[in-house]
Amino acid sequence: MSGQTFYKGSLTTYLKRRSFLLRVGLITGGIIINGCLRKIKSKYDITGNLSGPNSKVGHLLRDKSNLPDPTVVRQVKTLIIGSGISGLSAARWLQKSGEEDFEIIELEKHPGGNSHFGTNQVSSYPLGAHYITVANNEDELLIDFLKETNVITHFENEIPYYNDYFLTFDPEERLLINGEWQDGLIPDFGLPDKDKQQIKDFLALATKLKNTKGSDGKFVFNIPISSSSTDQHYRDLDKITFKKYLQEQGYTSKYLLWYLNYACKDDYGQQLDKISAWAGLHYFSSRRGTAVNAEQNAVLTWPEGNGWLMKQLAQKLSKHIKTSTVCCEINYATNGNIVATVFNALSNITEKIEAKSIILASPQFVNNRLIKNLHRPIDYSPFNYSPWLIANITLNRLPQSKGRGLCWDNVAYDTPSVGYVNSAQQHLEMSDDKKVLTYYLPLCDFEPAVARLAAYSRNYEQWLDIVIPELEIIHPGITQSIEKIDFWVWGHGMIAPGKDFIWSENLEKARTSLEDKVFFAHSDLSGISIFEEAFHQGINAAKQVLNANG
Amino acid sequence: MNRKLPALLLISVFVVATCGLIYELIAGTLASYLLGDSVTQFSTIIGVYLFSMGIGSWISKYFEKNILSWFIQIEILVGLVGGFSATILFLVFESIASFRMVLYGFVSLTGILVGLEIPLLMRILKDRYEFKDLVSKVFTFDYIGALLASLIFPLLLIPRLGLVKTAFMFGMLNVVVALIVCLSFKKEIKASKYLQSASILSLMALLIGFVNADLITSLSERQTYSDTIIYSKSTPYQRIILTKRNRVLRLFLNGNLQFSSDDEYRYHEALIHPGLQALPFAKHVLVMGGGDGLAVREILKYPNVNAVTLVDLDKGMTSLFKSNKMLLDINKNSLLSPKVKVINADAFSWIKAQHTKFDFIVIDFPDPSNYAVGKLYTNSFYKLVKNILAPKGLMVVQSTSPYVAPKSFWTVNKTLESVGLKTIPYHNYVPSFGEWGYILATEPDNPYKKPQQYLPGLKFVSRESVNLMLFFPKDMSKVETQINKLNNQILVKYFEDEWANVL
Repeated sequence: MSGQTFYKGSLTTYLKRRSFLLRVGLITGGIIINGCLRKIKSKYDITGNLSGPNSKVGHLLRDKSNLPDPTVVRQVKTLIIGSGISGLSAARWLQKSGEEDFEIIELEKHPGGNSHFGTNQVSSYPLGAHYITVANNEDELLIDFLKETNVITHFENEIPYYNDYFLTFDPEERLLINGEWQDGLIPDFGLPDKDKQQIKDFLALATKLKNTKGSDGKFVFNIPISSSSTDQHYRDLDKITFKKYLQEQGYTSKYLLWYLNYACKDDYGQQLDKISAWAGLHYFSSRRGTAVNAEQNAVLTWPEGNGWLMKQLAQKLSKHIKTSTVCCEINYATNGNIVATVFNALSNITEKIEAKSIILASPQFVNNRLIKNLHRPIDYSPFNYSPWLIANITLNRLPQSKGRGLCWDNVAYDTPSVGYVNSAQQHLEMSDDKKVLTYYLPLCDFEPAVARLAAYSRNYEQWLDIVIPELEIIHPGITQSIEKIDFWVWGHGMIAPGKDFIWSENLEKARTSLEDKVFFAHSDLSGISIFEEAFHQGINAAKQVLNANG
Repeated sequence: MNRKLPALLLISVFVVATCGLIYELIAGTLASYLLGDSVTQFSTIIGVYLFSMGIGSWISKYFEKNILSWFIQIEILVGLVGGFSATILFLVFESIASFRMVLYGFVSLTGILVGLEIPLLMRILKDRYEFKDLVSKVFTFDYIGALLASLIFPLLLIPRLGLVKTAFMFGMLNVVVALIVCLSFKKEIKASKYLQSASILSLMALLIGFVNADLITSLSERQTYSDTIIYSKSTPYQRIILTKRNRVLRLFLNGNLQFSSDDEYRYHEALIHPGLQALPFAKHVLVMGGGDGLAVREILKYPNVNAVTLVDLDKGMTSLFKSNKMLLDINKNSLLSPKVKVINADAFSWIKAQHTKFDFIVIDFPDPSNYAVGKLYTNSFYKLVKNILAPKGLMVVQSTSPYVAPKSFWTVNKTLESVGLKTIPYHNYVPSFGEWGYILATEPDNPYKKPQQYLPGLKFVSRESVNLMLFFPKDMSKVETQINKLNNQILVKYFEDEWANVL
């Protein structure tokens, strides 16, 4: 019997794998053929760049056969791989603890990870993460950082006063629904009463859950996630999809379901049938932060998005960051230390760096290759990363539309994207008509691996074909006002917290250090990709390193 | 020779006469719009025009040969000059010093050309009619044309087409006459090909002008503004429109009235004197907004003030009020005073980088009708203003109407108080705005002392009137509001709601 099961198992895997490859082949093949045809004649007279994270250097990881032999061997006490928010946060913590003997390796030409940004004549604009919310008041570590960076200017009766220039300027959000832009993103304009009622009910539930504590006295949903209640009753919500949960609760309103689906796409890059109920609710019920000068959940943003926060972190660390450097492999050294083989793409030199501790502030799909020689008893397959397309659209003017005027966040009901943000929202100056809109499209129509390969095979004109029709629905006639569109593809944009992921034993194991030498810090270890999680992951790893080194 | 031809030429007399009078009327109307005093303008224009026609008639004797082709060329030229006249006059109006020269130049040129036409026509026709018939026919058509022009101009053309389009239309008519004559007399004219192509090209130029005339003054604008638009310009930031009715000039920015020349003194005296008169030591004054220089005009009445800094976003606005004679008369050349430094910069960015202190700060921004301007009414902005206010200084903010928009007015008051300033709200009546509000603000330890006496020569502000201005009757009394903040621009919402009820 067991043999048969084994046989059956491997056959299904085989078939699955085959059908996966077949689908990938068909989809990417189709795209490439279409791309060749489209090259000949483009429908739109729009130009710009198509780029993304440095896949050329990244792929060295996979086929490192052609790397030059290591020429240098040097030592550093702590080596950090990755200069996204988690890596920078870990480094900041080491530095704050008086540690200066550390180095951060970054494969891109610049630090920042998902908080990377761009700049043109009109404005800086985000290429990924673009906001945080007012910190939960008990999140002291984060509040300290926000104080350091003058995001919190002072306290009044112990309540933080947030920098007026960083709180999102009014008007904040609008939704295009039933032919008109309404105020706020929660559907309201032209909705039947019963839909309005369901939305009200859901929001009431979310508020209730926001203030609910588990049997251990901790909030059910919290940021960082690790401080959430361990109460099994609530953790069981991680075992079903958000879609199933909503069905069970009797939510049927298409408007409500659209809104919740939008929220899942916005925060996790996936639709609500791919997200666990726990994660889906976390979006609505984990933010309790208060401020003297803003409402609960108020949003903080900058023209360059979270790039601003990243710069604050990176500023004091600049001499420790080595960019254009990819870590290829990590091994234990015979002397009890750990050795990383790194390659610098600029100098074309391979080095061996011997460290006492190493913090892998890189996502797990990367770590899977980096430390394949080390024993780490986890399953990498549940780590799914949503691919994204970011389009930065430079306009000479935005067409007039009905209802509320341009806001920071602009979403259209029932469209593929999650809308666009106006990067100049936080500019104080009177602006002329020129705008940079950052448009976010989660690629969630196929499973991530297929969508990713499809995304990689698209050319510039094909992205125009995807983005422009939606823009034309949102703003008829916008095409002729477009000066430029720059596309940015994130193949592994953010971790998608599927069913049974956040509270799985597997994720718990993934957070565990190896031999007190290899430590892990990345938001994918929290299960959701937000600044706050990455920030805490970094501090946790740094604390472990400091502990391990006495 | 074709028998129809004389008839065609007579019709062209008719058209030529109509067009000629239309150009004269256009010039007269434009002059009275732009320069005012219609009696003087019309009579000088008519005089110059008729005199120029005389010159034209006199010159006609020097045309010896090829009269028909000369006639056609002159027709084309009249069409071009007349057709573009209104456009060019509108465009050069900004620099008014040369405006009269250009105006009378146009009038003379058109007059001379039109003056040439009739004598030349008569000479063309002289062999086809008896002299008495000729004179009778030509002048009959000439005067009928004049009558038609004088009737359709005010009744049909100005209300429907506007000056610029009318000019282009009649320019085209002139050229069409030239073209038809040219085609009909093909055999009698040398170089008819050249004349044909010249007239077709001119026709196209005029047509392009006609189609794009809306760029100069848009039809929709003419319908929006009850008075005549004499100047309009889109700068990167706003649309500036100047209108005139009789002697009254009005300035509109993005459609909102900024001042009306007949009662602006009430607004600007109220804005400046209750504050500045209380600061006999004031030397450095800052004006933010107020690119019209009218607040500066009031400030310069104080000899103790030796430096005024004016920060206005829009260079288009300050240049206009530095160069246009009609506007310089209103602001008394204030922006040209050596004491005044004009800075074209965004107020928020400018003030963020500013460290020197000012004794008196005037904040005269447009009303908070949108989120972009609304930022300049926030606590964040007032904090920055407070930083550059001298310890014993005063600032004053134009704060919309406490009668129409009490919530808006008291929001500005509350927002000023929220940054630790003591406020002194007041108001007065400005006929073209209605009841209008201002708020003085000062450091709390520097109480405001009401001036006992004001400068001589003020038309509105006096000790007695200020006492009334400081008193708020019940229908404008203080209401509870929130603070206006960058992340919650409550003021824009209030302002929208409150003015929506009125408009």
